[in-house]
Amino acid sequence: MKKIKSFWILGAVGILLIVLVPVISFWPRPTAVSGDPWANVPQHPVHTSHADIVQGPFETPQDVTRACLECHPEAASDVMMTTHWTWESQPFEVSWRDEPVTIGKINQINNFCISAQGNQHQCMTCHIGYAWSDETPYDFTEQANVDCLVCHADMGIYAKGTYGNPAEGVDLLAAAQSVRAPTRENCGSCHFNGGGGNNVKHGDLAESLYFPDQEVDVHMGGNDFLCTDCHVTQNHEILGRLVVDNVTIDPSEQVACATCHTGTVHTDERLTAHVQSVACQTCHIPTIALDEPTKTYWDWSTAGLDRPEEHFTYLRIKGTFIYEQNLMPTYLWFNGNLDYRYLLGDLIDFDGPTFINVPSGNIHDPTALIFPFKVHVANQPYDTQYGYLLAPITSGPNGYWTNFDWDNAFRLSEPITGLAYSGHYDFTETWMFWPSTHMVQPADRALQCDDCHGENGRLDWIALGYPGDPIEWGGRFQRP
Amino acid sequence: MTDLIKPLNLRTRMLAVGLLLALLAVGMGIRLAAARETGAPTEAISPLHPTFALLDPEGINVLESAGPVSTMQTCGQCHDTLFIVEHSYHADLGLSDILTGTQVEGQAWDSSTGRYGQWDPLTYRYLSGSGDERFDLGTPEWVMLFGARHVGGGPATTSRIGVPLVDLFVQASNPDSAVLDPETGLPVAWDWEASGVIEMNCFLCHMAAPDNAARTAEIEAGNFAWANTATLNGMGLLNQDGVGVYAWNPAAFDGEGELLQEYVAIQDPTNANCAQCHGVVHTDANVLILPVCGDLSYPQTATTGQVIGPGRILNSGVNLSNKEELAFAWDIHAERQVQCTDCHYSLNNPVFYQASAVNRPAHLLFDPRRLEIGEYLERPDHNFARGQSAQFNVAPDLKGTMRRCDSCHEAVDTHAGWLPYAARHMATVACETCHIPQLYAPAIRSYDWTVLTADDQPLTSCRGVEGAGDPVTDLVTGFQPVLLQRTNVDGDTLLAPYNLITAWFWVYEDAHGNTRPVRIVDLEAAWRPDGAYPSEVLVAFDANGDGRLSEAELVIDTPEKEALIAGRLEAIGLRDPRIVGEVYPYSINHNVVGGEQALDDCETCHSADSRLAQPIILAGYAPGGVAPEFVADTNVPLAGEVYADDDGALYYQPDPQAESRYIFGHSNVAWVDRVGGLLFVGVLIAVGGHSGLRAWNAMRMKDAVKARFKRTYMYQAYERIWHWLQTVVIVLLLFTGLVIHRPELFGIFSFAGMVVMHNVLAVLLAINAFLSLFYHLASGEIKQFIPRPRGFFDNAIVQAKYYLGGIFRRAPHPFEKTPERRMNPLQQMTYLVILNVLLPLQGLTGILMWGVQKWPQYARFLGGLPGLAPFHTLIAWTFAAFIVAHVYLTTTGGPQPLDSIKAMVTGWEEIEVHEVPEEEKKPVRKPKTEEKK
Repeated sequence: MKKIKSFWILGAVGILLIVLVPVISFWPRPTAVSGDPWANVPQHPVHTSHADIVQGPFETPQDVTRACLECHPEAASDVMMTTHWTWESQPFEVSWRDEPVTIGKINQINNFCISAQGNQHQCMTCHIGYAWSDETPYDFTEQANVDCLVCHADMGIYAKGTYGNPAEGVDLLAAAQSVRAPTRENCGSCHFNGGGGNNVKHGDLAESLYFPDQEVDVHMGGNDFLCTDCHVTQNHEILGRLVVDNVTIDPSEQVACATCHTGTVHTDERLTAHVQSVACQTCHIPTIALDEPTKTYWDWSTAGLDRPEEHFTYLRIKGTFIYEQNLMPTYLWFNGNLDYRYLLGDLIDFDGPTFINVPSGNIHDPTALIFPFKVHVANQPYDTQYGYLLAPITSGPNGYWTNFDWDNAFRLSEPITGLAYSGHYDFTETWMFWPSTHMVQPADRALQCDDCHGENGRLDWIALGYPGDPIEWGGRFQRP
Repeated sequence: MTDLIKPLNLRTRMLAVGLLLALLAVGMGIRLAAARETGAPTEAISPLHPTFALLDPEGINVLESAGPVSTMQTCGQCHDTLFIVEHSYHADLGLSDILTGTQVEGQAWDSSTGRYGQWDPLTYRYLSGSGDERFDLGTPEWVMLFGARHVGGGPATTSRIGVPLVDLFVQASNPDSAVLDPETGLPVAWDWEASGVIEMNCFLCHMAAPDNAARTAEIEAGNFAWANTATLNGMGLLNQDGVGVYAWNPAAFDGEGELLQEYVAIQDPTNANCAQCHGVVHTDANVLILPVCGDLSYPQTATTGQVIGPGRILNSGVNLSNKEELAFAWDIHAERQVQCTDCHYSLNNPVFYQASAVNRPAHLLFDPRRLEIGEYLERPDHNFARGQSAQFNVAPDLKGTMRRCDSCHEAVDTHAGWLPYAARHMATVACETCHIPQLYAPAIRSYDWTVLTADDQPLTSCRGVEGAGDPVTDLVTGFQPVLLQRTNVDGDTLLAPYNLITAWFWVYEDAHGNTRPVRIVDLEAAWRPDGAYPSEVLVAFDANGDGRLSEAELVIDTPEKEALIAGRLEAIGLRDPRIVGEVYPYSINHNVVGGEQALDDCETCHSADSRLAQPIILAGYAPGGVAPEFVADTNVPLAGEVYADDDGALYYQPDPQAESRYIFGHSNVAWVDRVGGLLFVGVLIAVGGHSGLRAWNAMRMKDAVKARFKRTYMYQAYERIWHWLQTVVIVLLLFTGLVIHRPELFGIFSFAGMVVMHNVLAVLLAINAFLSLFYHLASGEIKQFIPRPRGFFDNAIVQAKYYLGGIFRRAPHPFEKTPERRMNPLQQMTYLVILNVLLPLQGLTGILMWGVQKWPQYARFLGGLPGLAPFHTLIAWTFAAFIVAHVYLTTTGGPQPLDSIKAMVTGWEEIEVHEVPEEEKKPVRKPKTEEKK
């Protein structure tokens, strides 16, 4: 009897298989996009409250760091490996210099506040260490000077002040007890305020990202991402580099959309073809400076005048500005590296603007993609005799911002930067390119065909090296 | 000598243009590859078009004559302008129908198929013919009224007898040289010599920024000679000395009187050029705002709600309901930079021209012998490729010249992944039906010319908008087009989306017995003589007695009101005035959306409330109670029904069945389901009654003598597998068929999945049936199914009597069941019918229904889907009924009700032991039996 029973079960299963297999294999199914982007989003660690672990009292911020190191002994030495600490790259060769060079906030200039060198009083507010003073050379090996709190404390309790030290009145114990994995507020306190104010420098990093709505950024607003969900951190080494402080970047050190958005992400074949030549950012970041304006022009030459002051147009200490909002990016070929980075002492271009950086790539470079940039134009001081840009001392009691004397500001910087000042200066136009990668928009708000192609397209095909609109002339990998 | 050189020169010039083009492209490539550092290049204006002199109608340089520019002369220096005018429906607009005396199908009073000669209730004015009793519209006024949307040439230069307008006598009796005096209602003579004519205007479509407003102003003022010149206004070529007075600017010309290169802004027509006359085309970077609904300056948009825009709808300035969700372009082709001229191309443009498969030899895919670019540029055909439905009447010769969706898109393959019967859908449903599911701009719904408002206008209504007619604050809701069955030029029929515009108007009989629409001047005389409603009209219409007629009051809704107005029309001399209502279908072919926004839910059409049968409102009321009729000269026959709801609003209800369409999930033949259902329920009741009686008797006869049973190996393994596989497949076929038949009752099942499953199961059934047939034939078991003729009917009656009587008395089965003779005569009869009639019929109808996608002609031979599908349904009901009876009768076999079913599982059955007649003792197969303990 048992044998018979198992036989008919076998028969039933066989019949079911005969029916199910063809039905399932013919079942209609729409074409699906491959890859689940959530698969690569890191899980947030369970928070361990340090309120009961951290015991005071703390006299100095260095005491806090020492307490941290008791349980996290590698933390300081890890941080010291990073440019968050060194503010300077490893030495490397560039074609226009004989000696290896380094690039960093501490030894080079940018297109905004010009130079951090000698301006430690203000600039170190955003250094990850304590006590970087004007007088003595900074001791980069002093572990106790690593500021754990700026990245880990509740930014409602903690803030930094001059020379990188905690601001007046900070309750160090409360701050230390509040530590946790970094939040948007920790990263944002410096990165959203680059250039001296909200969204001034980047255009795509603004305080609106603290609590963004969906329309500002699909990841942080729509999907509640933290900075560290993309800028994944291991041993205090944070993924993602800013090209303006480097010349070449190993792609493995960079955050890429394709890390999570794997495979063929578009259903439309033609969009898929775009990926060979167009960066994700180009379509998915249609505008820079959503919500809050960014600085696109800074004229130092008009500083010091007795004019009415207004935050967005003129400040006596800084000069004249232009801020723009909902700015259409400038599009260039970009392979992730720079062709050129202005190094202190380089000659300026007397015939046109001097480029602080030049993104690398062109239509013939298969690794280059059309990429959106914010262009910041400045009018900066240079030495008319030596032909290089000058790095004035602005902060501190003798700085330009105190006594509005350019000549004095350049003389003060001479011993610090090692750059001779002839006594004659003027101002010259400098350009700097800032790649835009944040404030990403979903497909519904991304660029569509007519934004680039056709009569009112935003791309200058000829300038990009195409014979004409590739919708008619063919792309660089397809001939018409 | 010059005769020889001239054509050569022309040819050389064209070749040079081509060469220049190639050189320039290469040059630009090289120069600009290196130009990245130097910044944006300066914008080049028409770098290819050579400079030229502007000539007046006499061929004299306008700088010299100070006259208006003549396009025929100016452009004719290189291009064959005569050829162009003769090959341009845009210029002709139906004039050639009149010249050739072509019979037209439209209204009795139409004289052509085009805007010139075909009466349109939206624009209303009627182009009078010579000898009309009451003169309405003459050619000069036609030009003034409609010239803004006419490119010139055709009726603006040539009379209806083929003579140039300027050669006509100045006489009021000829409608070609007369205009209506609105005061007297009589024609007044027009002097074409003084007004000039409008040559075909090349600038309007071939310049980047033609001043259409200035041109229109000249046309409306009757200053025809300068209309084309005014088009050049604002380009720096002209100095305007006061309104309508133009003088040439010598600074725009070189020393030889030719235009300076920077003023030569000649280009291929862009969407903006086409938009000037055709409808809303959004081409600039400004936010799109729609004109107020019904603005006939944008006829395509006014009549259909089509908006050719590349931007996302949510980024427009339209006050549109649910706008946030409309994150897609108004028209995907516009978004993807397909220009108007890419589909509506010049018919001899060698870039686009491709002989249709019908017209080219079978062995050729592509014929490389085609016009050279130079030849084309000299004589470009200005008849443009057109579809076959939109603006149905115009340019009938050109219908179907355009490539349609499926000429560019691989439609069947791209849908085959998810859409069952993709080829069938493509063959019967126009792409537009799913890819234009909704219009997001309002469109005209009705025009009521039976009344006149205080502005001497008809009462009009729009669909897809709520509000008082303010383009900014009105809420645009958009509308869903109605789906009508369109007949293509090749005779194929397709379901396609339309807007319906219904118009009511008065007609009368003139002195010659011709029916004509009542002139506006006569309507005004009847409704508003001296600019006000007369008291008898006010008394009849002013319901609230406020002395004014609101839109709600201005309705002819009683015979008295109708008689009053008819009487007033008769009083001014119109015979037999009566109201006519007509429905005009407007084909919708633009505003295409991509796959993500297209209809892809099967139940949209395959369900009880199918979109294919959705009614569309025609109007809020029927003036004079006149039910409107579909106009005859269209490709969409009226197959549905016009009905009024309780409030008097009129609707059109399409009827797919009347259009010989059977839509699975929607169509059903009521009697088939009724008969099938009755059969099924009848069997259920019979089974219920029978089993109840059995149970009752069983209780009564508890002590009845039980028959002796023995356990017999009745069914071979293959027989059992075959049976149960067939069971599963048939039950699932019935179930999936039921879902397909009435999907709204089974919302959770995917319609597409059910359709695919049904087909797969049918194949399994067929394979299983054939294998089993083979088995039965090969093993000889087939004999089981074949009744023995001798005594068959007697035996059948014996068996029937058993079921009707003996079974209740616990009588033994009349025939012993043995492995070699399992079936009683009734079973044999039943299976004979099922296996030889029903199953083949069901299979055949099923295959033919499946085959409509591949060989519809066979299905058509048997009545098409409307014939096959109900038949298939009826047989399915029969099968369902059979299964009930079949399962029930299995309970009558053994001592326990489930014994027979168990037997079909295990192969072993408890069967009654009978005395076996001697002659049947030779077993075919040695039975395995066990005595029942």
